[in-house]
Amino acid sequence: MTRDLLVVDKVTKRFGGLKAVGGDAGLSFSVPEGTFLGLIGPNGAGKSTTFNLISGVLKPTSGAVILDGKDLSVARPSDIASYGLGRTFQTPRAFPSLTVLENVMVGADNEGETLLSVLRGGWRSRERALRAKAGEVLDRVGLTERINDVVANLSGGELRMLEVARQLVRDPRILLLDEPTAGVDPSLQAKLSRILVDLHAEGRTLVVVEHNLHFLLQIADSVVVLQNGELLSKGTPGEIKADEKVIAAYLGADHAA
Amino acid sequence: MNTVFQIGLTVLMFGSLFSVLTLSLNLQYARGGMINFGTVAYFAAGAYAYAIVTQEPPHGLDQYLVGLDMPWWVGFIAAGIAAMAFAILTGWPTLRLRGEYLALTTFAFAEMLNSLLVNERGIGNGTVGLANVERPDANILGLSENIVYALAAFALMLATAYAFRRLLASPYGRAVDAIRDDEVAAQAIGKDIARLRFQVFVISSIPIGFAGALYAMITTLVNPDLFSAEVTFFVWIALVLGGERTLLGVVIGTMALVGFQEVIRAIPFESVRAAEIAASAEDIVTGILFIVILRWQPFSALARRRQAA
Repeated sequence: MTRDLLVVDKVTKRFGGLKAVGGDAGLSFSVPEGTFLGLIGPNGAGKSTTFNLISGVLKPTSGAVILDGKDLSVARPSDIASYGLGRTFQTPRAFPSLTVLENVMVGADNEGETLLSVLRGGWRSRERALRAKAGEVLDRVGLTERINDVVANLSGGELRMLEVARQLVRDPRILLLDEPTAGVDPSLQAKLSRILVDLHAEGRTLVVVEHNLHFLLQIADSVVVLQNGELLSKGTPGEIKADEKVIAAYLGADHAA
Repeated sequence: MNTVFQIGLTVLMFGSLFSVLTLSLNLQYARGGMINFGTVAYFAAGAYAYAIVTQEPPHGLDQYLVGLDMPWWVGFIAAGIAAMAFAILTGWPTLRLRGEYLALTTFAFAEMLNSLLVNERGIGNGTVGLANVERPDANILGLSENIVYALAAFALMLATAYAFRRLLASPYGRAVDAIRDDEVAAQAIGKDIARLRFQVFVISSIPIGFAGALYAMITTLVNPDLFSAEVTFFVWIALVLGGERTLLGVVIGTMALVGFQEVIRAIPFESVRAAEIAASAEDIVTGILFIVILRWQPFSALARRRQAA
């Protein structure tokens, strides 16, 4: 039995009086190391909010998020990232004043970014190694030809790939992807699917929010279904496909019978 | 010919001096994304620190309490430290603020310092200020003092530009750019945005302090009137004039603005009335230039990274 890398424990989030995530009891699920968890649910189910709670962009109203024994609910987003949690955003966030390559290079935890290193001037050799690594990652996501482009020239799908690359260069222990296939054309989707399968095969832990059920049910180990911020169901893709509650939530109650 | 030379020298001297301020502001604003409307305070901190460290202990009618009578270079270093200390003091509580809130707070801090200098006579004789500020003997190589000070200002500007350039061309600069572009995304890749913003704010204030010391040496006078919010606005206008994207543009903008003012001032007027009209005209033309540049941005060709077509 592999141990749980990420544990979401009775987490609730309220905006004013509105229960956004967790309802009264709180949302709980865990992600064992090396597994691929899919997080699905209709619009407004709280998927992205859950991501924001895990990555520290939002703080839970109650409950705890624990990554490898560390309580994330009190940590800053930058600390959470340095503990080894990587994430992408529902709307891709690139750094427009940096080139594609620089967008990836800046992702690494870099000792060359300290003032002391600037004074010493010893960052250049590290920079070469980082450039090579960023190049490899960009090759992996298929952006090699765009390496010196400005991000304004990238398509929506390419921006998503760039975000994935920027996280991969960090070697995160767990990677959270928020709707990676949204707005991505089918050929790029197939490529993304292959990348995710490969990352999973390498033993990385993945949590992926998706609208595209077909995409996710093919490649995830287990799936968590949210509805109105609460856990509707969890299980293997096979179990989820057969779950009448899930079918009802996705297709409407008429189809459940 | 002699007049032209004198104007050129003054423009070189004050243009370089204020370019140090504009360069620092450029680092804070264009790269760090921080709006500092209190630039003059760090300049004043440097100038006063220099004066206090180098002047003789008080005697006679002096109201100031401290005069350390140290050599000029100690004062110069103290000026950098004073500006840095003031940046730490003001940056720590305010840098959590964004955009216009930071602008208002830094402006308020600068006004507070100005008010303190006016009212707390023990610092620098209040509104009278400190006169006869120590200046190092610049009579080297047989050059006139003005030439030496103009060259010193130019050297300080070059040193500042070089240091900032080196900082920004490193991975450190890349991280700073990332934070300015998107704080949430920068945090998601582990960037400690509070630490980096604070560092940029403090580092960029150090050359402003040095410039303050040099300014005190050149004018041999520091008083609160010299360090009003007008200096801050002047530097901001120069920054916008030159375009915020390159260090060269920043320097050109500052030189152009100083040059323009010096040329107007050099016009010999027959009457007080004419001089008053010229002063108003200077403001109006500065305003028109400002609008023209904001509208057409002629220097945008100097952009660090050209935007996508």
